[in-house]
Amino acid sequence: MHIPDGYLSPSTCAVLYGLAATGWYAALKRIKRAFSMRTIPLIAVFASFSFLVMMFNLPLPGGTTGHAVGVTIAAIVLGPWGSILAVSIALAIQALLFGDGGITTFGANAFNMAVVGSFVAYGTYRLISGSSEVISRQRVIAAAIAGYACVNAAALITAVEFGIQPALFHDQQGTPLYAPYPLHIAIPAMMIGHLTIAGLAEGTISAGIVSYLQHADVALLRGPQTPSHFEERATVAFTNPTRYWLVIVSLLLLTPLGILAAGTAWGEWSTEEMSNTYSRDQIAEASKGAPLPASPPAGIRKLSTVWTAPFPDYAPRFIKSQSFGYLMSAMFGVGVLAGLTLISKSIVLRRRPQGRRP
Amino acid sequence: MPLAFDLQNVSFAYEGVNAIRSLSLQIERGDRIALLGANGSGKSTLLKLLDALCFPARGQITFLGVPLTQELLRNDSAAIEFRRRVGLVFQNPDAQLFNSTVLDEVAFGPLQMEWPKEEIVRRVNDTLEFMGISHLRERSPYRLSGGEKKRVALASVVVLDPDVLLLDEPTATLDPTTASQVVDLIHQWKGTVKTIVTATHQLDIVEDIADRAVVLEKGTIIADASPSEILSNSELLLRANLTHAHRHSHGGVTHSHPHSHPHAHSHEPE
Amino acid sequence: MTQLSFVASTIRGFTAALSRALASEQVAARSGLLQNIDPRVSLIGSLSLAVAVIVSRRLTVILALFALSVLIALLSGVQIGSLAKRVWLVVFAFTGLIAVPALFVTPGETLFTFSWAPLSISKPGLRTAAFLLLRAETAVTMMTVLVLCTSWNRLLKALRMLRVPAEIVTMLTMTHRYLFLLIETAEQMFEARQSRTVGHLSGHEHRKLMSSAAGVLLSKSVSLSEEIYMAMISRGFRGEIYLLSESRLQPVDYLAMAGFLAVSLSAVWLGR
Repeated sequence: MHIPDGYLSPSTCAVLYGLAATGWYAALKRIKRAFSMRTIPLIAVFASFSFLVMMFNLPLPGGTTGHAVGVTIAAIVLGPWGSILAVSIALAIQALLFGDGGITTFGANAFNMAVVGSFVAYGTYRLISGSSEVISRQRVIAAAIAGYACVNAAALITAVEFGIQPALFHDQQGTPLYAPYPLHIAIPAMMIGHLTIAGLAEGTISAGIVSYLQHADVALLRGPQTPSHFEERATVAFTNPTRYWLVIVSLLLLTPLGILAAGTAWGEWSTEEMSNTYSRDQIAEASKGAPLPASPPAGIRKLSTVWTAPFPDYAPRFIKSQSFGYLMSAMFGVGVLAGLTLISKSIVLRRRPQGRRP
Repeated sequence: MPLAFDLQNVSFAYEGVNAIRSLSLQIERGDRIALLGANGSGKSTLLKLLDALCFPARGQITFLGVPLTQELLRNDSAAIEFRRRVGLVFQNPDAQLFNSTVLDEVAFGPLQMEWPKEEIVRRVNDTLEFMGISHLRERSPYRLSGGEKKRVALASVVVLDPDVLLLDEPTATLDPTTASQVVDLIHQWKGTVKTIVTATHQLDIVEDIADRAVVLEKGTIIADASPSEILSNSELLLRANLTHAHRHSHGGVTHSHPHSHPHAHSHEPE
Repeated sequence: MTQLSFVASTIRGFTAALSRALASEQVAARSGLLQNIDPRVSLIGSLSLAVAVIVSRRLTVILALFALSVLIALLSGVQIGSLAKRVWLVVFAFTGLIAVPALFVTPGETLFTFSWAPLSISKPGLRTAAFLLLRAETAVTMMTVLVLCTSWNRLLKALRMLRVPAEIVTMLTMTHRYLFLLIETAEQMFEARQSRTVGHLSGHEHRKLMSSAAGVLLSKSVSLSEEIYMAMISRGFRGEIYLLSESRLQPVDYLAMAGFLAVSLSAVWLGR
């Protein structure tokens, strides 16, 4: 799943670096608060451990071997934020020291495996564990499913990143400049290997380690709140806003899929479309043969001059590629909304008294 | 003259194990103590308590008359002062060598003390010379031999010129030559104001490194006397698991008596 | 698979990792182009060249950058033979495999049709495969040469001086430092297990072995981190990271930096 250099365009790399960096920044702040000075040695040693797990050749049912990522067990023991850091560091060392995964694509790899992987693993584990005992079988199963889910989630995001490349980034002759396979090839191609092998590997090793720890070192499974291993009480909780950000981000990445849908949405016609012969035929077809008015209705004509959108057709003039414009406007839109949300949140919260957890 | 350390009824437990139980001990400045006991007797834990790396659940430890508490060490200047004056050399050198080069390792302490750069460079170079490891300054820890690691570990503590040196099994896993070098080093500090507490289970070095021997068993002190007294008390040594008796035979004669390794010894057939 | 072959292959993976790390230290010790420049410059320079490779839309420009990276490798005392074996062949195998279907699948002007199968290579397909392969090879070559010529310590010091957060750099430092210790420990564990095993282990038993090995390593890792933490506190660590010295940039560093940037920018311009 480590993406090498050259498979993703510079803009894709930049966007994913940005997302990863946000994850790192948030993780560092929270981890320092939770573990304070213990942070450095704990994360460092865990990163080495994660690196090691990635090197294990795991025998899988059916006779194949696979490699795990180790993100699931990191998320279970350290929580999602610690896991983001530990796995990112392991990936950094793999990229720098062993050439495993590119440098321009490091942000992408970190986002896919460390950020997305950690949250999916942690969320799934917590969801399925519920309130069961730390030593119960339910936890082992939760770990297995969490491992399987997070690897496949990461693989899916990776596949989407690959799949949108040919549509967005090609030269005048139509030659894809980076990853050459569109979504309908990239997704199945990537998912097959992960749904069968890699997912099983991660699930197996995560379940195996949890099972082992249940009788050998239970304290580690109680999560970052354990007094005996970690002094200060951690406030690493899987808070709701984060989950929503994740959903938003994944939706954002999937926006270019809209391009695949041909034609225009029913009812969203502009005056030009109602005048043009070709599109009129299409509209008629979509409307099950109902006849169109000869010219655009007066109401539509009047209102269409009231407001000229800053980005008509979802792309400013200078962006040639339609799909890229799509993506950009989606990000812009999300960015504006996010900015407004954060601003209003800080205004609202400032009014309230500070209730800090001990 | 305040005591270097005064432990009053100290108790400490971790992970459900009572490591130290109602222990009282007075350590004078300049004392050279050998802390004897088998694995699990609480030696390492006691050293960590003395180095304020953990704090007693009950009882009190004072250092030069000042109680050692977590609150005290939260104060930056108090922490700097204490960390400089008391140094601990860990049993596992890999835990102590966490920097990427020997130079960085030895410089770590002085940098934390916020000394001026020139002084740090001078002190580090002097210490590397003193320990005979100047040629290793750019080396990474994983490429060092066991003996070299030990010397770097010692250097990283000694560079701070501490008043109290706590050594946790300094000669364990070392070859005889390096072990004797370490012993010589400790011996060098005899007669100085340095207080030295060495935890060890190697009885053959005790007389070289200590004027006083304290024997631990299951978290309590069972003896506190001069090394010669302790070493000649074979019952005590057996009880504390510092020696063992086993049957062996030579020349057709079988006998058993308590002894400890690694002392090369021979017997005349009886 | 034969008994414990998974264990054996895992051990081999570990040993390979160790020897690669040791090999890189040798190159870093030689005197060459990259070794004599400040690590900050070689880091930023290599990164700017890698970005130029990714940004360029002309095969000729990327090819030129590849030639440049080989030149830098030569001037820095890197053996071309080892570069070919360790880097070029591996990337060719991996990326080549991924690129091959693109030859046939990419729509466009047909270049060549096989007589014995309904397969044809299209011109865009060929170009795409070329882009993919060349970009991968060039970028990896550049970064490999950088890492071979700059010891890990100097690289991390460069990051620190470039204002990467101190905690991150220290974590990277410590991870690297303890990685090899953990690898050695794991190797010893597996070798001991291998020597004690008689007869055949089922797949299930293999998995149990791996899981318990991983579990043991995990426990040891956490305990080790506790001890490291105490060792740090014992010598005065209070949360701040300090650097001993910050090296000055020499005229040759400015020259090299200018060179890197000039090449990168012209590559981006020519390849737009």
